[in-house]
Amino acid sequence: MTELDLDALITTMKLAAITTVILLIIGTPLAWWLSKMKSRFKVVLEAIVALPLVLPPTVLGFYLLIAFSPQSFLGQQWFNLTGTQLAFSFKAIVIGSILYSLPFVVQPLQKAFEQLGDHYIEAASVLGANAFERFTRIVFPLTKASFITAASLGFAHTIGEFGVVLMIGGNIPGETRVLSIALFDHVEAFNYEQAHILSFGLLIGSMILLSLIYLLNHSRSPSTVKTEART
Amino acid sequence: MSIALNVNAQFGRFSLTVSHTLPTNGIVGIFGHSGSGKSTLLRIICGLEKRVNGQIRFGENDLLNSSDNRFIKPSDRNIGLVFQDSRIFPHLSVKENLAFSSKHSKTRRIDFDEIVELAQLSPLIEANASQLSGGEQQRVALARAVLAEPELLLLDEPLSALDKHNKQLMLELITKVNQHYKIPIFYVSHSINELQQVADKLMVMDSGKVIDYGDIHQVIHRLNNNGLIEQQTSLSLKVTSHHQEDGLSYLTLDENQHIYLPLLPETIPSGELIRCYIYASDISITLDEPQNSSIVNHLNGTIENIEHQGDTVLVSVNCASTLFYTQISKFSFNKLALKPQSKVSIQFKAGAVRTLIGD
Repeated sequence: MTELDLDALITTMKLAAITTVILLIIGTPLAWWLSKMKSRFKVVLEAIVALPLVLPPTVLGFYLLIAFSPQSFLGQQWFNLTGTQLAFSFKAIVIGSILYSLPFVVQPLQKAFEQLGDHYIEAASVLGANAFERFTRIVFPLTKASFITAASLGFAHTIGEFGVVLMIGGNIPGETRVLSIALFDHVEAFNYEQAHILSFGLLIGSMILLSLIYLLNHSRSPSTVKTEART
Repeated sequence: MSIALNVNAQFGRFSLTVSHTLPTNGIVGIFGHSGSGKSTLLRIICGLEKRVNGQIRFGENDLLNSSDNRFIKPSDRNIGLVFQDSRIFPHLSVKENLAFSSKHSKTRRIDFDEIVELAQLSPLIEANASQLSGGEQQRVALARAVLAEPELLLLDEPLSALDKHNKQLMLELITKVNQHYKIPIFYVSHSINELQQVADKLMVMDSGKVIDYGDIHQVIHRLNNNGLIEQQTSLSLKVTSHHQEDGLSYLTLDENQHIYLPLLPETIPSGELIRCYIYASDISITLDEPQNSSIVNHLNGTIENIEHQGDTVLVSVNCASTLFYTQISKFSFNKLALKPQSKVSIQFKAGAVRTLIGD
């Protein structure tokens, strides 16, 4: 593995880790809100969250590229605020990854919250537990498996990202050059040996990660979470 | 102390309107058929239903006052609720479930080990919710609610999923919690027999409205006339003595008259007040005092009221200043030519005197 590839590996891992943490922070309340929502607009919001599942990543990347460009309102505000350009920066690919991996984090959490229902939460509130305690002591432990799934899927999906990063990252080594793009470069340059190393590494790594998720989910059977109709 | 309810709520086509002040001492039974709004009323009192208009005043505090947008969160109301389906936290042991609650008590005046003992949970303390039977789950739920030291405890059909033995255990525990810890209880049930055993006052709900309220026995006797319950005589009587050789216990009706019933647990001391009920269809009327009958209870009295109800007649007979309700056929009524103020005897078997205590 070349030094450049190692840089790409580190950038990828950093990108995936930061994206996952941010996604858990914003995805949890979003999933909670969607799970409790009864409005007709719920389907519209769910569709928006799910959009990255069907949209070609290059479409998302294209719109982000326009939004991040120094000529755009967002790009200008960013420049005024930080003195740096947003497009072709690490921050840009973090934002892109967050949007791109959003459904992978929000959907399992929303499903878990919906399945959990209000039963145990109501029981905890009449025992005097406040919202923070209800979340940390009841909701989180009972939906832990889904949090693990959400985090792992968010992480894994960010590692596998290509189109969005290609559009808004600009392939800057040590900054925005991630593994999938490094691989693409190797293939373009007919450097198949390097390409093999990266491909096989990603394949095995992803396989191990997914196996771990399924292993965890099987040993932590969600049978403890019951949903009963209110009588 | 008391709780003044002045609320109305609309849930789809169901509307609930209650303007009533209930005492917060002893046990208030709330009776009604399914869909009468009794469980909803409990959820409104503890704050689990938010879309409610009006005012709830508990002692000196407003828990709800929609005129100034005041809504105290359920976690800040200090009102406990035991649900029909227990809701024991499945990821915690019995001990952890109880500790979760005792952490929120303000004074910790209720001893952890004592309530565990009282609810007979010692052998289960390390168990998980999934390992508990229905009866055990409800005892954990009740002990858990008590440990939070609520100023008012609401019970929503706590016995509905239990067998007879577990019902008895729970009824005893409910009475103990009320008497020992002085926690007032509102007890919702569709079973008049459960409520008859423990409640001091009874509130009756129908279609989201309160249709009757008062002393438990009086309300039950009023309900006899409107077909909402199986007609019965509801009594609180003192235990006179236990007679193992006869298989009977005696209850004091007045100084010379007793009511006999199947032997009660001898742990119930003489002089203790117990609740019992006799179905009107289990009491018969004779004009002459019967001799040599296997029916052990016969009392002399005067007919106080006669009410024709379809094919049957509900006759109330005053014996030793206590009203007994008997249901007889039109045939018997005509044959005996009963009239108000007629002197009659009533009779019923020991087994017709029912309680939910003992086996």
